[in-house]
Amino acid sequence: MRLPIQSGWLLVLPFLLLVGGLFLGPILNILWLSVTDPTPGLGNYAQLVTSDTLGRILWTTIRVCVICTVFSVLFGYSIAYAMVHAAGPTQSRMLSLLLVSFWISVLVRTFSWLMLLGRNGVVNSGLEALGIISQPIPFMRNELGVLIGMIHYMVPYAVLPILASMQSIDGRVVQASRSLGATGAQTLWRVYLPLTRAGVVAASLLVFIINLGFYVIPAVLGGGKVLMVAEYISVQVLVTLQWGTAAMLAALLLFGVLTLLFIMSRFMKLSTVFGGART
Amino acid sequence: MHDKQFMRETLLQGAQAFQAGKMGRRSFLALCGMAGFASTSVLAGRAEAAASEIVMWNWGGQSEECHQSAIGVPFTKATGVPLKFDTSGPLQGKIKDMVDSGHVTADVCDADLFDAVALGKTGHLEPIDYSVVDKTKTVDGYALEFGISIILYGYAFMYDTQAYPNGAPTGWADFFDTAKFPGTRSLYKWANGSLEAALMADGVEKDKLYPLDIDRAIKKISAIKADSIYWGSGSEAHDMIVNGEVSMGMVWQNRGRSIETDTNGRFKLVMNQALAMPGAYIVPKGNPGGAAAQTFIATAQSVQSQLDLFTCLGMTPTNPEAIAKMAEGDQPYSITSAANMPLIALNDPTWWGENTDAAVNAFLAAIS
Repeated sequence: MRLPIQSGWLLVLPFLLLVGGLFLGPILNILWLSVTDPTPGLGNYAQLVTSDTLGRILWTTIRVCVICTVFSVLFGYSIAYAMVHAAGPTQSRMLSLLLVSFWISVLVRTFSWLMLLGRNGVVNSGLEALGIISQPIPFMRNELGVLIGMIHYMVPYAVLPILASMQSIDGRVVQASRSLGATGAQTLWRVYLPLTRAGVVAASLLVFIINLGFYVIPAVLGGGKVLMVAEYISVQVLVTLQWGTAAMLAALLLFGVLTLLFIMSRFMKLSTVFGGART
Repeated sequence: MHDKQFMRETLLQGAQAFQAGKMGRRSFLALCGMAGFASTSVLAGRAEAAASEIVMWNWGGQSEECHQSAIGVPFTKATGVPLKFDTSGPLQGKIKDMVDSGHVTADVCDADLFDAVALGKTGHLEPIDYSVVDKTKTVDGYALEFGISIILYGYAFMYDTQAYPNGAPTGWADFFDTAKFPGTRSLYKWANGSLEAALMADGVEKDKLYPLDIDRAIKKISAIKADSIYWGSGSEAHDMIVNGEVSMGMVWQNRGRSIETDTNGRFKLVMNQALAMPGAYIVPKGNPGGAAAQTFIATAQSVQSQLDLFTCLGMTPTNPEAIAKMAEGDQPYSITSAANMPLIALNDPTWWGENTDAAVNAFLAAIS
């Protein structure tokens, strides 16, 4: 006897309940707070228009996230390309190096950057000793520092989806393109790149969404001057007790991410992006 | 001990759910059976809930050891109640959340006196019991309804002696004068202390700071923004100075001494115009240890505990008797010693308790 497909739901029911209770509940609570604290109404959302500070913080967040996403995906693409075309043993060595960098704590990375690129860091004192510069280059404690730290952190996240999509490309397609007279650049632009589009989109989405919530790296490497949404939310929750403002910003982030996913879904099947329909 | 505590909490929650009709009679009895209790003993258990431990909520690191040795040991000796720690940092938002959730797990928070003002007003704190705790064993004006200052820390600045060989900076006016004293500065990024420093630099008398003129302070701070970076934790402030990222940096005054020692005096602490901050003990509403928390606070006021805490953490005692007993060599680093008292400003916790949100957000808007 064939079971009706619906019975599969019974198997996932406990998980659905768990997700509903532990995940949706608190999220609804946040949404509720954003329209009730301190007074009921849309006052918290009105701040988005009336407050210059909020506008500036959101702009900083988006700017930093976009720049970081572009560079992470660019670097990720080149690394993945090199990995796919490396010989077996080299490839697995590269993969393990990539995974190791995944596991290094964000704090360790952050402080390493300070030691390397700080005012009296290895790079600045080296360049000064060589007489190349007379004043230390301000790499850290500013937006550049935040970008360096974030891009470094995000590159492995960009590599993996792109690597997966490159690995599934049939190498003969490239050969066919060349044998039909296309140049290397044409093959890359018109054959290879379109074939890896899903991987690039997945990597960009993943990197951008993770970036939106970054806290430690901007807080430390930005020297207090690069205030992004996550840190601002934390200050409003913990220090100034403006929970309504914090909840509103959290809701905004949530809807921002959902909108982004929705827009993407208009252009391509999301399941392809996240590897669902692959192979 | 923990198992018992857990069992008691489970049963109490069960009993409350049963009473509220959320749990069936059978489930509740089964729960009692599993725990080996009859329901009556559960309810009796709550009534005689003598403190089995006192949980101090602090910032961890060195302060955990120091609080244990300076206050925990004598407290346990006198009462038999052990001192435990939650080291996740009792920020206002976390205390509010804990009390609102109804599951209070901390007895005493190592917080600021302005937290006592802010959270006392909203009903999140137990009042201090001044029949147990002594009002006279602290600085004048620092024994409030919902909190009492046990130690003082402060905001002062340090400078690099190698950056200024011809004449050292002596006060906040020099700190904010980047023409006369070129170099990068560091300030605390959550406004506290930074606003007072800016006002003193701008010529406000140290005993006429409050109510703070936020706009005036922000103007002064914005003027050196291009030459400033901002720190969020004590260790970050420490690193910025020791790694030479700044030539003058604001620090928590109690850390100044170790920086001076560690660097053989290359970086010097300026106590002139330092701002003394009342660190306070506050008790979250409905704390599990009950009245024992008040006894704990009273123990922390004892001369020996206060002196030990100074040796261990560098925090200045508030008990005048303890200040009088400090060693000669310690006096310069005690923010309220006789020699420092005429130089320093005293923080007003009531102003901060009522204006934190406005001050912090104005500051963040200016520096970001």
